[in-house]
Amino acid sequence: MLVDLQGPWSPLLGRLALSQIPYENPILAPLFVVVAIMGIAIIAALSYYGKWGYLWREWLTTVDHKKIGIMYIIIGLVMLFRGFMDGLMIRTQQAMAVGPDAAGYMGALHGYLTPYHFGQIYSAHGVIMILLAATPLLVGIMNVIVPIQVGARDMAYPYLNAVGLWITAAAAVLVMASLFVGDFSHNGWFGIAPIFELPYSPGVGVDYWMWVMQLAALGSTLGSINILATIVKMRAPGMTWLRLPIFTWASLATNIIALTSFPALTVALALIGFDRYLGTHFFTAGLGGNLMLYTDLFWLWGHPEVYFVILPAFGMLSEIIPTFSEKPLFGYVTMVLATFGIAGVSWAVWLHHFFTMGAGPDVISFFSVATMLVGIPTGVKVFNWAFTMYRGRLRFETPMLWSIGSLFLLLVGGLTGMMLAFPAINYMVHNSVFVIAHFHSMLLMIVYAIFGAVTYWWPKIFGFKLNEAWGKAVFWLFTAGTVGVFVPMYTLGFMGMTRRLDYVFNTQWQLLLDVQMLGIAFYSLSVLAFLGLLYVSIRDRAKSRVSHDAWGTTHSVEWMTPSPVPFYNFAVVPHINARDEWSWRKEHGFTDLRPDHYEDIHMPKNTGIPLILGVLTFLLGFGLTWRIWWLCALSLALIIAVVIIRSFDADTGYIIPADEVERMERAHHDRAQAAVELPQAGVPGGVTAYGQGNKPAAKGEVGAPGSGISSPEGSRA
Amino acid sequence: MSHDNPLQHPEVQVASGRGYLLTFLISTLLMGVSLLLVANHAMAPFGLMLVLSLCAGLAVIVQIYFLMHMDLSEAHIWNTVALVLTIPLFILAIGLTAWMFSTLYERTMVMLPTMHGMAGMVH
Ligand code: HEM
Ligand SMILES: [Cu+2]
Repeated sequence: MLVDLQGPWSPLLGRLALSQIPYENPILAPLFVVVAIMGIAIIAALSYYGKWGYLWREWLTTVDHKKIGIMYIIIGLVMLFRGFMDGLMIRTQQAMAVGPDAAGYMGALHGYLTPYHFGQIYSAHGVIMILLAATPLLVGIMNVIVPIQVGARDMAYPYLNAVGLWITAAAAVLVMASLFVGDFSHNGWFGIAPIFELPYSPGVGVDYWMWVMQLAALGSTLGSINILATIVKMRAPGMTWLRLPIFTWASLATNIIALTSFPALTVALALIGFDRYLGTHFFTAGLGGNLMLYTDLFWLWGHPEVYFVILPAFGMLSEIIPTFSEKPLFGYVTMVLATFGIAGVSWAVWLHHFFTMGAGPDVISFFSVATMLVGIPTGVKVFNWAFTMYRGRLRFETPMLWSIGSLFLLLVGGLTGMMLAFPAINYMVHNSVFVIAHFHSMLLMIVYAIFGAVTYWWPKIFGFKLNEAWGKAVFWLFTAGTVGVFVPMYTLGFMGMTRRLDYVFNTQWQLLLDVQMLGIAFYSLSVLAFLGLLYVSIRDRAKSRVSHDAWGTTHSVEWMTPSPVPFYNFAVVPHINARDEWSWRKEHGFTDLRPDHYEDIHMPKNTGIPLILGVLTFLLGFGLTWRIWWLCALSLALIIAVVIIRSFDADTGYIIPADEVERMERAHHDRAQAAVELPQAGVPGGVTAYGQGNKPAAKGEVGAPGSGISSPEGSRA
Repeated sequence: MSHDNPLQHPEVQVASGRGYLLTFLISTLLMGVSLLLVANHAMAPFGLMLVLSLCAGLAVIVQIYFLMHMDLSEAHIWNTVALVLTIPLFILAIGLTAWMFSTLYERTMVMLPTMHGMAGMVH
């Protein structure tokens, strides 16, 4: 071996040993029992109801972009919950460990978490929330919506899409494994040089962190290639660039950022890998290493990454706000330009994360100004949304509530970001909880947009709406949590509280820390309410079925398809005539038309290979973490072999015959007719009010999208 | 739906085993040379930096040419667009980093790479 490992190592198990399993830990051991029981219960339930075949055929081997997107979203929600539990523990520890007299439990001097354990928790919290909760949620929503919005039947590379999903899943499983086998990194989500070097972090924690990040980066890069290719190459006829739905524009910009910035992270992590596995000195303090170079490389990715997560959220707001203002989006072209403006500037601001490094004044001024420039396109967007709402007929349904909450958070986060962009202020509050409150405002803005988008597009994917009352309860509880946690956090930042304290030395901060606990209580209630929302909505789904245009005033292409969207999306590829195609069709009375004939559809076949690759990738990551070289070699060899074998499989698609398509379309049509007990207000142009124009409203419910056109059996009116 | 053979697409047509092998060999060679030069401290640090940059540049060109088969034809227009996009990014990433670190060294380190060598190397 090229490096000195502390502790035992054996060829068979690497660094793995029984002592690495924390079966004595008073938190982890019971948790493990709970997880094990839940796992057994799920397996038993699947077997009892005989659902294994269904699971395998419909989900695990699927290449359907909608199902893959849903699985991304499920991973994201599960990890969001895990990250929330970490956050809850951080808050509890800080509220308990204030002042020298604070009691200590479970081996901790103060509070209930030892510093070592606390460090792992905040590191895991950050990694999980950014890379394994927010990112999969956004990628999932893009996965579901973008192909439909551009009028395609699937992604450009359906198989690659599934590979990306399972690699992301492997990363999520790896970070969960670190709970029960070994420990996690304690050097924060972004890594601190040279603390992550082997001599200072001899355990496997940093290795877990590194490989989790590396796998998540790989998954995201693959996904971004796919979405870019889909948008560039798969647009339906007539969909010119300036007719592209705004969410698709946002996805385009986002994935350009991902494709160009993730390599910087990959390189930074790979160099840490060289340092830790091969004994090189890229980021050491001496011997030619340069530790700030790590920080530089990391934020070269890290700042674009924050825009990678915020731009899709902007795109979601741009879809939701017009729908519930009953007006077209104000300033489409400026919106697109602003999106690309933000993406462009995002590459030139990364030094603002280490203003305090000590670069020269010119450099600092440059980056300060560049950072503040972001405010211009962001301002353009905010004004566009405001003008969209101005004199609109606002309807405060749940997605709209989330969007408006999101705008408020954007304002708070953006303005505090501007403050941080002043070097003079930054030197004062850098590494304080003020920074934490800033970026949590921003990231919560994204979470709000995500919840809005999930509620907004839910009926499109599942064919029924989520319960309004419960949805609003989740919103208000969540908002009470946000205010309760982050207003005191900003205050504490100004009072000088630094970030990541496992022990709070200033007893004057106690009160504000307690208020934050109240906020956490509200967040916890909102989690329960969310589960209630899912339960009630699924239970009552028969009452809330919708047809194509679930909200009555939608405008883009995805709303032309039946709800739930059939697996082939479009029986006949639509021809796009206008920017807001669905509004245009409503305006021209083209909503109840069906194609005069159907053609065979070519679809990609299901395959289990992506899942196998995901499992092997997990084994590779696990083997690398624990330095089990035979496992690494074996899984890598198998990965290469499986990829090669798959590449010889020429039979990757199948044909749905035209009459079969027609039969399925009829079934969708009948179901849509049965669903329209609800008053629907699909109205011309998407600009007219709810409830007006009954005749076009009734028409809006029947029919199928299509370019070749003939009349349906007749209007339902 | 008429279904054209994906193997006929111009993007796929440029695939060539010889090109890939050549890229692999040349890249490995360039990397090996760089590694040897560094490991043996074969030159003064500044010269080393120049030679390494040259090797890296060569590797990029080799990959663009043999691996990605970039050309200006209509079929590869998106590759060209992508390449053009990376140029400003490249300048930003490398240029701004060089700028910030040169001012950092001025203010924090006695020795600049251009003078005697990266701090620790002269130990
Ligand atoms: C108007 C736009 C924004 C400005 C001007 C801005 C400015 C800043 C500045 C100057 C810092 C460094 C603070 C310090 O460490 O001393 C910072 C940190 C941060 N910002 Fe922003 N920001 C903006 C938008 C965003 C967005 C959109 C996100 C995420 C979606 C975000 C996420 C973060 C994160 C994650 C950190 C700190 C990471 C860490 O240290 O762990 N920011 N921001
Ligand atoms: Cu930043």
